[in-house]
Amino acid sequence: MDNFLERVIIEPFDSLRERLLQFLPDILTSVLIFMAGIVLGVVLKFLFLRFFRAINLDRLFERSGLLEMMQKGGMKDRLSVILARVIGWVTIFGFLILSLRSLNFPAVERILESFLFYLPRVFIAAIILFVGYVLGNFLSRAALIASVNAGFRMAGLIAKLVKLIILLLSMTMALEQLGIGRETIIIAFAIIFGGVVFALSLAFGLGGKDIAREYLEKRMKGDDNKDEINHL
Amino acid sequence: MDSILLRPDIRDKLNEITEADILVGIPSYNNARTIGHVVRAVQAGMAKYFPDKKTVLVNSDGGSTDGTTDVVQATAVEDFQSILLHHRVSPVFKIATPYHGIPGKGSAFRTIFEIAGALNVKACAVVDSDLRSITPEWIELLIKPVVEGGFDYVSPLYHRHKYDGTITNSIVYPVTRALYGKRIRQPIGGDFGFSGALAKFYLTKDVWETDVARYGIDVWMTTTAVANNFRVCQAFLGAKIHDPKDPGSDLSAMLFQVVGATFDLMETYYETWKMIRESEDVPTFGFQYAVGLEPVSVNLNRMVEKFRLGIKELIDIWKVFIPGDIIAFLQKTGDSQKSEFRIPDEVWGKIVYSFAIAAHKKLLNKEHLLKSLTPLYIGRVASFVMETWESNAVEVEEKIENLCNNFEKGKKLLLDNWS
Repeated sequence: MDNFLERVIIEPFDSLRERLLQFLPDILTSVLIFMAGIVLGVVLKFLFLRFFRAINLDRLFERSGLLEMMQKGGMKDRLSVILARVIGWVTIFGFLILSLRSLNFPAVERILESFLFYLPRVFIAAIILFVGYVLGNFLSRAALIASVNAGFRMAGLIAKLVKLIILLLSMTMALEQLGIGRETIIIAFAIIFGGVVFALSLAFGLGGKDIAREYLEKRMKGDDNKDEINHL
Repeated sequence: MDSILLRPDIRDKLNEITEADILVGIPSYNNARTIGHVVRAVQAGMAKYFPDKKTVLVNSDGGSTDGTTDVVQATAVEDFQSILLHHRVSPVFKIATPYHGIPGKGSAFRTIFEIAGALNVKACAVVDSDLRSITPEWIELLIKPVVEGGFDYVSPLYHRHKYDGTITNSIVYPVTRALYGKRIRQPIGGDFGFSGALAKFYLTKDVWETDVARYGIDVWMTTTAVANNFRVCQAFLGAKIHDPKDPGSDLSAMLFQVVGATFDLMETYYETWKMIRESEDVPTFGFQYAVGLEPVSVNLNRMVEKFRLGIKELIDIWKVFIPGDIIAFLQKTGDSQKSEFRIPDEVWGKIVYSFAIAAHKKLLNKEHLLKSLTPLYIGRVASFVMETWESNAVEVEEKIENLCNNFEKGKKLLLDNWS
């Protein structure tokens, strides 16, 4: 009976205790590495922010036009703050990976390995999305101003459509980069984009035939109500 | 960009002429219909007023396809007696050549400056190729102040229809006068006289890849002359009547180039204009008289509608750099009845200065910023048209004078917000 109890209860518990005792230092090491990462991340963020301000990085980017591009893209923070923040987070993230690896779990290691291989794609996808966002805002504003100056009443709608198409395109490219439903995404984009163009053609064709006729008549016969103001 | 002087045909022509006293340049692009009259007036002016001088006429063409350069080559004054000329005159040399560089009036002028420099001329003039009111006296009035008066730059002074030259009247004249302190009434008139030395000075500037190469050339020439302390005067030329601009020409692009060049010059000459507190008259030559002008059609409804569309769609862009009280006023104006529609001088001055400050601080992409000015400018022109509907030329001039005074008073706001 004693033997049975020892094999069924005591031995597994002993084994668990031994494993825990073996694993505890790893957990402790992992937590310590992660905490060190957080501290280092915060310190580096602070130091780099001071450094960027000392070298007047914002002014440098202002001159290059990048700051203007980011502001147009809706970014409110200064570039030095954003860069310092990115450095801080990359440090913390790097230490998180180190801390997970220090656990010596084969399953975790495998996941980390595949994640690390995937990371460049995530990075490129993020860049594509960022560029798409900034470009979308820029071209949308250009379309808005040009449409207003041309006197199109639907200037706002045109600007929104331009932005939507560019965002859709960048999202498609980002998802393709991530390898998520590659064919499906491209086909879906082609259908949506084609649909939008077709709908617009129909809308302009049916709804705008009078405007088109009026426009052509004005071009051919001349506009009786034209301005003769010479601006220069 | 290669210099025009490297072209063998131009080199041969310059070798043939060697040196000259006076050069008149005519920039052109598809002006076959009007350029013949301009060439005749220039030739007659040279023959009548400078018979003993060696003179050159340069047509700098932008690749016309309607035979403009052929018209220039074929045109000559056949009957000198009609201009009361009986004595022997030196021949007028003629050069008609396509210019190099960015398509635009500025590039055409650059070619004229280069030829003037190569021929070491004493005095130059440039006149537009679409003029219908040019007479031989224009050449005398643009050249003589340089040759005999020792001036370096002669700006034109015309009688124009009250709704002609609205960018000049509402932006360029008030701004340049307030900034540089010289009351040059037509700073972008298009027809100027200048010394050979000033032509050479223009060539030393590296601006030929900017908006100066396009519509920005006129304000650049005037401002460069004033800001660098060249001796400046005005000459009264009478009426300015010219072919209407191509209806396809884009107002916002024109505004972008002219206002963009004006704002760029503010950067270049900040040290000069920040010191100037008030404006003064410049010497004016020519016998002034009243002239009849052709009527100008104005579509007020369309202008007000464009302004309202701008208020509806672009107000968020303007909020970034236009003060809140002006934004509130613009919104109220956008909602008002057409009969109550007004953009007063003080408001317009603050708007223009806000755009200048925004361009200086690079708050927005420059092209977006300046093109977004178009609906506001159209609104201001509509307001001006309504205010001066019944006014005669003298009353209109008084209105423009008031506007200029407002710009001069408002300069402090510009200076306070510049740095």
